[in-house]
Amino acid sequence: MTMYKAMLLSTALCVTAVPGALMAQDLTTVNMINPLPRSTNFYPLVVAEALGYFEEEGVEVNLLPSDTSIPYVAFIQNGQADLAMLDPVETINARNAGAEISTVYEVMQNAPEGIGISESSTATSVADLVGTTVGLVSDRDRAFLQAALDTVGASIDDVQTVVLGESGPTLAAALRDGNVSAISGAAPDWINLIANGIPVRLITPEELLASPANTFAANTATLEEKRDAMEGFLRAWTKGMYVSQVNPEAVAEMLRQGVPAEWENEEAGQMFLEMSIGMNLSTTERLGDLQTDVWTALQPRLLSSEAIASEVDVTSFLNDIYIDAANDFDRAEVEAEAAAWLAENM
Amino acid sequence: MSDIASPKSVKMEIGLLRLLPHLLLFLTLLAIWELAVRFGIITSIIIPRPSAIIGAIVTLYVTEGTIYKHFFITLTEAVVGFLIGAGVAVTLAVWSSLSDGFRRYVTPYAVILNVTPGIALTPIIIAWFGYGMGSKIALAAVICFFPIFVNTLTGLTQRDEDREELFRSVGASNYQVFRKLRVPAALPLLFAGLKIGLTTALIGAVVAEFAQATDGVGVLMSRFSFQLNMAASLATLLSMTIIGLLLFYTMEILDDRIVFWRRDSRMSAVSRARARAFKAQTGR
Amino acid sequence: MSVQDYMAVKAARTGTGISLRNRRILIHAGIFIALIALWEISSRLGWLDPLFYPRPSAILNSFWLIFVVNGNIWYHLYVTLGLVFLGWVAGSVLGVGLGALVGFNPVVRRFLKPYVIVLEATPRIAVAPLLIAALGFGAPSKIAIIMLVCFFAPFINTLSGVINVNEDRLDLFRSLRASKMQVLRKLVLPDAIPVIMAGERLALTAALSGALVAEFIQRDQGIGSLILIYTRNLNMASAFACIFTLTIIGFLIFKGMEMADQRIAFWKNEPGMKRVSDRRRRAMAIGG
Repeated sequence: MTMYKAMLLSTALCVTAVPGALMAQDLTTVNMINPLPRSTNFYPLVVAEALGYFEEEGVEVNLLPSDTSIPYVAFIQNGQADLAMLDPVETINARNAGAEISTVYEVMQNAPEGIGISESSTATSVADLVGTTVGLVSDRDRAFLQAALDTVGASIDDVQTVVLGESGPTLAAALRDGNVSAISGAAPDWINLIANGIPVRLITPEELLASPANTFAANTATLEEKRDAMEGFLRAWTKGMYVSQVNPEAVAEMLRQGVPAEWENEEAGQMFLEMSIGMNLSTTERLGDLQTDVWTALQPRLLSSEAIASEVDVTSFLNDIYIDAANDFDRAEVEAEAAAWLAENM
Repeated sequence: MSDIASPKSVKMEIGLLRLLPHLLLFLTLLAIWELAVRFGIITSIIIPRPSAIIGAIVTLYVTEGTIYKHFFITLTEAVVGFLIGAGVAVTLAVWSSLSDGFRRYVTPYAVILNVTPGIALTPIIIAWFGYGMGSKIALAAVICFFPIFVNTLTGLTQRDEDREELFRSVGASNYQVFRKLRVPAALPLLFAGLKIGLTTALIGAVVAEFAQATDGVGVLMSRFSFQLNMAASLATLLSMTIIGLLLFYTMEILDDRIVFWRRDSRMSAVSRARARAFKAQTGR
Repeated sequence: MSVQDYMAVKAARTGTGISLRNRRILIHAGIFIALIALWEISSRLGWLDPLFYPRPSAILNSFWLIFVVNGNIWYHLYVTLGLVFLGWVAGSVLGVGLGALVGFNPVVRRFLKPYVIVLEATPRIAVAPLLIAALGFGAPSKIAIIMLVCFFAPFINTLSGVINVNEDRLDLFRSLRASKMQVLRKLVLPDAIPVIMAGERLALTAALSGALVAEFIQRDQGIGSLILIYTRNLNMASAFACIFTLTIIGFLIFKGMEMADQRIAFWKNEPGMKRVSDRRRRAMAIGG
């Protein structure tokens, strides 16, 4: 083909492609505010994007990873964010402060929080921590420690607490050197320690293990208005979650490509993924469903550990209007697409 | 003589008069804010009513008095950190100004320390100085070192050739040139650096608290913020700001007294005092 | 004798053919390499805690990984430096502008100063939600945070430079009936420039750490978010690689500013003064 013809052809292609591209640009942006950038911790996002599920639903995800010192709820209120990832304590505090938010989806149904001890420690339960210094990853983990001590009849005043901060090395050194007898923190913290050679054992009381962790909250006033975009987003998310149930290798490869920074150490990455699947994969029949009884049972202990100021009626904010639509997809089709992706991208 | 008001009372009256416009401006702003929230113009959770903030201030300071411990901790961290950082900075700057070689070898490392982000240093600082006030003091000292160092060094190395020639022509020694010419010439910049450094040290202490701390104004603030008790959070923030203002104005007063030649009234006061001392000495 | 002649003589005297300047660079490099070697050896001998001090060899490996193999750092670097630059410009404009305004006008100074101090004494983390609510997520609010972090040094230095006018010279100017504009341009400005430049240098390094603070709060992209990811995963070697990248860039920028400073405030050093006066002499000779 001569130069001239090539130019003509490419111009023609561009001219016809542009309207097509513009049409494809007709995506609704869903602004989601959460604590982490794209990460193995919330792999459904990465998986759904790799398989093009958001685009299919006409949705584009604008992720707004922000430090938790920013009040997420305020941005739901003023519309700058459509969805915020909150935990139960934040949700109830927000309701107590009068924010009109609804919890529409449970992202993680197994609480990642726990009490971790060093492998070499002789402690067998939280009761053994009485009279020692316990480390907290952040100020907010004190409430969890208090609840844990509550289950064995002890009180928070029976231990000394010190805030260690989120920095990996500091947590690792604290456990390794015995500066603290245990750490009240969350799964991502343990995984990193374990993957880097600091063995961690968990002594979290049984009663505290079943607790909704992260959830999606949205503005109550615009639930109907944004229904299409929301259902599309949640359906794509749920599909991403489903892939991990049937094809974890595909998920691993998608993560390796999508978030290389977390997979520089292959072993750490795998461990991280395993634990993330454990947290993200819903145990309810409808994926992402809201467990009303768990929320109701949760509040008294939150109240007694002073994490919340007063209890809130769960029906006033738990809202499952999107759950059916989110679960409305062909399981077999998703399985096939995931397998095809893996074959192509191996 | 009695119908002329005494200088002191006139000063006080003038002082109050000068304060009045400030107060009026401030109260007007507050009133607008309160009304905006009451009438629903400002609906965000982030911006509470001034009346709620005042309520929180009362609770924090009077009813429950929770804030005093944290206030004191953060203030100590900032001031001690500043003193250490400033001490090291001024010393190094003085040596650098006196010795070319010293300056050449110290400055690159000072710059490197400055451009290395605080986030990077935090784990190491915590490892060295522990989980308590020590690490916050250390971070405050590290962060406020550089502005003071740079300003002091610049102040000491600026040369007024003419004046130096004058000094030498009357046979001044190196030490005298340094003490009577270069140091006073450097003082304005030095104090500018100290002012920057002091507020920087406070910020350093608070930032360190946000990253890892069990007690302190920063911790209190983020605790309230998490509970969405924005009124209390802002009240705590105000406390931080008061600390900052106090520190800054302390530095201003010191600046005024030490660099006295800048204000005419101070200059005449000091020269009168010196004249008196001289007269007393020579007995004339 | 010009500086170049002096250097040539000095080199000839040392007899090694290496100029004085190059010798100094070699000494600096030597010290640096010695430190690195010490670090590596201490790490291998187990003296240094591997959690906090990754080995230089591991850090070099990370450099290779993130710059070449994965190449994931380039985009973040571009983003962060863009923010630093824009924030620095905004902060300088604000700082110098406010400083000059406040310096020249005592009335404004009285009213504005407390609010400026209050602004400076407030940690930006506290102000961040308000900025985001006002300017939206993304670059604008991040630049605003950086601007707030770095405006204070230029402000204080400009204020100091404008206020501390040399009284004698001012009298001299006035006695020759100089206009306000002339006083400003020929007396105040030249005297204030070194001080303002010093403030600018501080502002630039402050902008660098300000960018990291902004990225700590909004962690979508940039070196700050990359460092957080690596630190969270205890991948200290890569975290340090990112940090040192910033250090090197910061250092280069700083040196660049020093050179710019020497050109702009040329009367402060010999070679610069000579260069400009030669040029001016030639210009006058042509003209007259």
